[in-house]
Amino acid sequence: MADDGSASNRRDPIKSSVGHVAGQRRRQQAVTVAKERRELLVRAKRLCRVGTNGDVEDALVENEMMIDEEQPILEAQAIKSVEELKSAVQYQGKGAMQKRVTALRELRRILSKSEFPPVEAALSAGAIPLLVQCLSFGSPDEQLLESAWCLTNIAAGKPEETKALLPALPLLIAHLGEKSSAPVAEQCAWAIGNVAGEGEDLRNVLLSQGALPPLARMIFPDKGSTVRTAAWALSNLIKGPESKAAAQLVKVDGILDAILRHLKKTDEETATEIAWIIVYLSALSDIATSMLLKGGILQLLIERLATSSSLQLLIPVLRSLGNFVAVDPKAVLTILIREQNTEESIIGVLAKCLRSEHRVLKKEAAWVLSNIATGSIEHKRMIHSTEVMPLLLRLLSTSPFDIRKEVAYVLGNLCVESAEGDRKPGIIQEHLVSIVRGGCLPGFIELVRSPDIEAARLGLQFIELVLRGMPNGEGPKLVEGEDGIDAMERFQFHENEELRVMANSLVDKYFGEDYGIDE
Amino acid sequence: MGRWIRYSPGRIQLTNRSGGNVQLDAHFMFVRETKTKILNFFCFVQLRRRWLGELGFPYWNPIRRRFSPDSPFFASGNVERELLAKQVALDLTEDEINHLQKFVETESRRISCPIVGCPERLKSLDHFEDHYNARHTASCSVCSRVYPTSRLLSIHISEAHDSFFQAKVARGYDMYECLVEGCGLKFKSYKARHQHLIDKHKFPSTFEFFKKTQLSKKRREKLQRQHVSRLKHEEDKEAASSDAMEVEDKASVDGLVSALSTLTTSDTTPSNVSFGRRHGRGLTFVPRSVHKEKRTESSSAPGPTN
Repeated sequence: MADDGSASNRRDPIKSSVGHVAGQRRRQQAVTVAKERRELLVRAKRLCRVGTNGDVEDALVENEMMIDEEQPILEAQAIKSVEELKSAVQYQGKGAMQKRVTALRELRRILSKSEFPPVEAALSAGAIPLLVQCLSFGSPDEQLLESAWCLTNIAAGKPEETKALLPALPLLIAHLGEKSSAPVAEQCAWAIGNVAGEGEDLRNVLLSQGALPPLARMIFPDKGSTVRTAAWALSNLIKGPESKAAAQLVKVDGILDAILRHLKKTDEETATEIAWIIVYLSALSDIATSMLLKGGILQLLIERLATSSSLQLLIPVLRSLGNFVAVDPKAVLTILIREQNTEESIIGVLAKCLRSEHRVLKKEAAWVLSNIATGSIEHKRMIHSTEVMPLLLRLLSTSPFDIRKEVAYVLGNLCVESAEGDRKPGIIQEHLVSIVRGGCLPGFIELVRSPDIEAARLGLQFIELVLRGMPNGEGPKLVEGEDGIDAMERFQFHENEELRVMANSLVDKYFGEDYGIDE
Repeated sequence: MGRWIRYSPGRIQLTNRSGGNVQLDAHFMFVRETKTKILNFFCFVQLRRRWLGELGFPYWNPIRRRFSPDSPFFASGNVERELLAKQVALDLTEDEINHLQKFVETESRRISCPIVGCPERLKSLDHFEDHYNARHTASCSVCSRVYPTSRLLSIHISEAHDSFFQAKVARGYDMYECLVEGCGLKFKSYKARHQHLIDKHKFPSTFEFFKKTQLSKKRREKLQRQHVSRLKHEEDKEAASSDAMEVEDKASVDGLVSALSTLTTSDTTPSNVSFGRRHGRGLTFVPRSVHKEKRTESSSAPGPTN
């Protein structure tokens, strides 16, 4: 028996097989397409704003072109305006406040005309120290408002521009307090939101300066645009991936009640921001998760899923639901059982998402179902007996790859008992048979052929279920009939050893020398 | 039907046409002599000491899956949200706001195709995907293989799906074009073109323009029934004796996809590596015309000895 000294000898020719090259090409193609799509979407959003001229005829006109025409003008205006502000701040005489406000307003206008304000010019002219000065305590509201507005737009640009706001942060946070007028507080929250949206480092700075509690309190009122802006800023602040901000948020008295209240009643835009807060809480804080569950959040999420058609709202709501299910299937399933007969049952809303035209909803709904399907036999039966099944089977054959993978998880989980310990998990033959008869096998075999290792693994695992679990030994014939053997034999020389071993062992066990001997 | 002789486990060495060789450990090796004295050789190659038995297989086990907020799993759902990470506070008149909203709703929905020279504007990511697949990937409508250029696609279609092409090949015309643009040379056979690519254009010997998929017996039979009578002739041959079926000559072996499959024990001895299937299926990685071509060749040559 050869030993490992010759391992490299054995590996090389296998690795250089053409199948490997083809697989690599496919993968590269997939990555390129994905990257291009992402860039497309970002560009589209940037293209949507209009310059000062209001010229909107041709969307193909790149932003760069539009900027080129106006930018020098704007930049010059910005510099001039900062100079004026400087002298207004220095001026101590009569009407000083009015001068300051006028200068601020002018700067603000220049910084609010287009999606790409002349931030760099303003910064190099020394805007920040002046704006910080204008934020001092006791300043009139108008001054605070205009100053915060300027800072907001400065922070909305490139990373270095956002970082430039560091000196202003303590004051911005201070003006979030309950004594501030609502517009001022909201504008400060907006600026802080932009800073938080920049990255983890700035988030940490904000947290250490105590930004979270006042911001959290701003979402207590029942309504108003302030609530929405503050909720958005808060979601940026806690998004992690570190969990300490989320943990701090949970400790704010009354915050979870406010969240539940808004989820239930408020308008869709605000609910969207609240939902993102819930996404992060449910992913990052176990305390928040259990308290929200106790507070009945699942029912509220299900209601929103049932009634809303806004994609922006549905995504975070669905994801929150998914996070709760992923953390604590039992809790969810208790509700499942209770609500089984109502239209707004969890299965019903997940079916609605599966039927949606939006890729993200389909994929994440399937993910949620796959986790529910890891529960007890009753829970699997519950999924299996509903409208969801034909939807899943159809999605397995027709939808894009990432959705198919999630659907595969659902279907496989439905067919297998959730095992304890090391024993081989038992097959639920009734489910397996009906799913296979529903025509799932081509879809799984297709997954076996995909370049994605995880998908191929799933496909092989499901094929093993079919080979082992179908009654009357039909398994091998069914697999062969769908070119399953071909798909598996492609793994003979696959670069991934685990898949090679899996495929080879199946072929050997079920399609060995004796196979077909009676034909 | 020859009997299978079992050899003890050991190291086997296989050599390819260019002289490269590889060594494998065969833990089972069965060699069979057939009526025509061509060896069939079936070996089970184990690459690890661990047995690929029941204990090794990772059975399907339902486990819940949880992802952190920044996991790539959520990336597609996060795309729009990421764009809102920072927001500019714009100061627009009522008119400008309306104009902007209309603009956003209609025009910005359309995304320009990023491929140079393509004027297409798409409504959504899914539309883009469809457009991309339709226009910027050359995929065969018959068998779904994808090629990087339309020229290669059309070469593929002629060679793989066009019976007129095959007819001309059979009559001895030079039909197989060199794949390198600008070369212009044409060849009478797939193999000759293949050799030209290696000799003249430095292609790797393992490159295969046409990798035939292995079909199940049922599919093969079905496809064959759909073709003209000369292929029916093939089918009759197949049905007649499974031994003759297992006569695989060296040229057919050359057509195989995987590196291992292109190896033969020597230049004159054929080999068929398969995985335990009784009816030798190992060599379907050959375009039908090559298979047919070589079949006529081999009927005149004496069987190699080993």
